[in-house]
Amino acid sequence: MTTDTLQAAVPLRYTAPDPGAEGVPVLLVHGFGSDFELNWVRTGWTRALADLPVAGCDLRGHGGSGKPHDAASYTPGALVGDLVALLDALGTEQCDVVGYSLGARLAWELALAHPARVRRAVLAGFGPRDAFAGADLDDLESDDSAFGQVYRAASRLPGADPAALAACARGQAAHPFRSAPAPESVPMLLMAGERDDLATGMEDLARETGAAALRAPGRDHRTAVAAQGLKKAAAEFLTAQAAVPRG
Amino acid sequence: MTHPEETTFHLPDLGEGLVEATVLEWLVRPGDRVERNGPLVEVETTKSAAEIPSPHAGVVARLHAEEGETVAVGAPLVTFEVAAQDAAGIVGTVPTEEAPRRRVRLRPPEDE
Repeated sequence: MTTDTLQAAVPLRYTAPDPGAEGVPVLLVHGFGSDFELNWVRTGWTRALADLPVAGCDLRGHGGSGKPHDAASYTPGALVGDLVALLDALGTEQCDVVGYSLGARLAWELALAHPARVRRAVLAGFGPRDAFAGADLDDLESDDSAFGQVYRAASRLPGADPAALAACARGQAAHPFRSAPAPESVPMLLMAGERDDLATGMEDLARETGAAALRAPGRDHRTAVAAQGLKKAAAEFLTAQAAVPRG
Repeated sequence: MTHPEETTFHLPDLGEGLVEATVLEWLVRPGDRVERNGPLVEVETTKSAAEIPSPHAGVVARLHAEEGETVAVGAPLVTFEVAAQDAAGIVGTVPTEEAPRRRVRLRPPEDE
């Protein structure tokens, strides 16, 4: 893997597969308040997927990418636009996409808006329930909802830009997730920690879409990201020879 | 000399000013042979969850913490039996897989 920056209106720091790596590239999309390194490298995902060409980026507002402060820069469409720009820059016609939390929502939106670009999708740490339920997005510093706690933990990480993260939350919340329409013809695997409050309803979403669903015993939203069982299941799903039938 | 020697791996500095981590799950058991960089243990800090890879190849002799137990940075984590020559010069750090970093433009500047 090599790291580089895609020069655009909002610069995007990204990781590209090694030149000559064969197979369908896996696009890794991190969660809110995280970045490629924290979400995928330190947790062992890139090690678990070492046999596959792996790509990914720091989402705008995160890590080494540009960090605008207006909510309009963080709509799902804007973030998915960055992912498509990255696929274009890498010359990747079709990828497998793996997302965690916010990244899973974006993986869904990518598959929905650009079905030809996505072969298979793994949605981790994600459910159809509104992640921002009860959150006061104009005062996240003192908000005591589940999301408020996620925000504060993220905003205290080194290098975090709290204003950008708050704008990202508002941009996402302005476009709540809807489970219909669902991406057509993209086999999906849903996975989360057994005690992940942000993945409530994941099994319902799996039934609606014909996706497989998997839980990591004992894990919550923060700790499931490193769960060996989830990484292995994702690797098996992405390397299965035949397309996985839906339903 | 090829007889095995023991070497103990200590919890490495996880950055971000963290002083301890809690063992989430061991990915190896005593008696297991591990490869260098193979998955060793999953830990949780106050800021994130991480997987720590094995710093070298060997056989797991002893684990020094139970799952759910909190370990201080620098405290013993796992003891390996390694071939004698592999034990020389081992230090308690995680091998880094630092990607080569380049900063080049994907597209040429527009004024060219």
